[in-house]
Amino acid sequence: MVDKTIPIHADSNTDVTCRNIDKEERTLWRKVIDRIADHCRARSLFVLHYCTGCGAIELPPAITSRFDSERLGMQPMVSPRQADLLLITGYLSVKTLKRVILSYEQMQSPKYVIGFGSCTINGGMYWNSYATIKRLEAYIPVDLYIAGCMPRPEAVQQSFIKLMEQIDNGEANAWKDYYRNYDRYLAKQQALFGDEWHTHVDVVAEAEHYQLLTEQTTGQHTKLLEKFANQYAMHDFSTVQIPEEEKVE
Amino acid sequence: MSEQAIDKLSSVFREVPNVQFKQTHARRTEVKLRADTLPAILALLKGRSYIHLSAISCIDRPEFDEFELVYHIWSHEEKNLISAHIKIPKKPGEFVSVHDIYTPAAYFERDIHEMFGVKFEGAPNLKPFVLTEWQGPPPMLKSFDTEKYVQDTYDWLDYQPQWWKEVQEKGGGYAPEDRRAVIMED
Repeated sequence: MVDKTIPIHADSNTDVTCRNIDKEERTLWRKVIDRIADHCRARSLFVLHYCTGCGAIELPPAITSRFDSERLGMQPMVSPRQADLLLITGYLSVKTLKRVILSYEQMQSPKYVIGFGSCTINGGMYWNSYATIKRLEAYIPVDLYIAGCMPRPEAVQQSFIKLMEQIDNGEANAWKDYYRNYDRYLAKQQALFGDEWHTHVDVVAEAEHYQLLTEQTTGQHTKLLEKFANQYAMHDFSTVQIPEEEKVE
Repeated sequence: MSEQAIDKLSSVFREVPNVQFKQTHARRTEVKLRADTLPAILALLKGRSYIHLSAISCIDRPEFDEFELVYHIWSHEEKNLISAHIKIPKKPGEFVSVHDIYTPAAYFERDIHEMFGVKFEGAPNLKPFVLTEWQGPPPMLKSFDTEKYVQDTYDWLDYQPQWWKEVQEKGGGYAPEDRRAVIMED
């Protein structure tokens, strides 16, 4: 006989019936809320474009009056912290990939990535270059790729609509993969940048926050990050001694 | 370029031994000289209105085991570009910096040091410039096998999506090895 007690502080999907609870499962109320949130989210995307590739040329017509992506509720955003969608517009060198990862990790979840053109898929015309990375999805999760070299603004617009559809249906969940398999992504990043590679974002703690912590989130590669933890630890102000002369009587 | 200007140039080059120069095109002068005389020539030319060092190029010549350095200097008054070619042995691959004559040389020399491994004595800064993440040998050397490096570093050929398998089932795919070599030779 299993002792079943209802916890006072229950999870939102705590089930007191006699079956195993699926952690992915959501209550009906939660589903309704998520559906409304997804619906709204899909219609107000702030776009951060990382324009080191030739896709930067296609974006002005896509965003300005000719094709006008603001009809879709999309607007360029200047900082990663307020952006929802990251556009990788073409090839990335090892050096720029570092900056992309820094920008990507600063973005608030849920966040989406669109890779432009064949360069982000398999290196494209830079397939035998020592300096450019070949597959973007090995380093950060990608929601959509647009084929082409370079895709025309029509294709860019089409991908925006496709992404909106996916968000609306709750299918654009690539960002969750980054938290669930962080160790795998970090392994690829460390293979390029060396073992000293670290960012100021504590991805494991964020994974915990979003309740996406799995066994693959941490591993031998995230262990290497531990020695940098002190560098970013919050300063403990409780131990600060105020000098005698500054004390107000 | 006028006759007068050519005379003016030859008066410069006469002061230095072992200099060959010819006017290859309109506004282009090619000069070949010994490496040790280069700083003197540059200093002389700078005094004769060639004030703009627009680039330093480096060419790897494995067949002679040497580097060819080309200094491009432009005169706004003569409207003429002089390309001064010198050759330095690959080992030890060292040359003097011309930073004291032309200040912009600092960037070009830093770049060449990074891409070819040439050391410039007296250059103010030879730290990595563009390739800050680079661990390997200088990538612009002809002995550096780019394709092998790519295959060793990036696992991009592991990507085997369904559409690619369908292409291969229909008889498509990568070009066969022997055919690939022919394409490269073409």
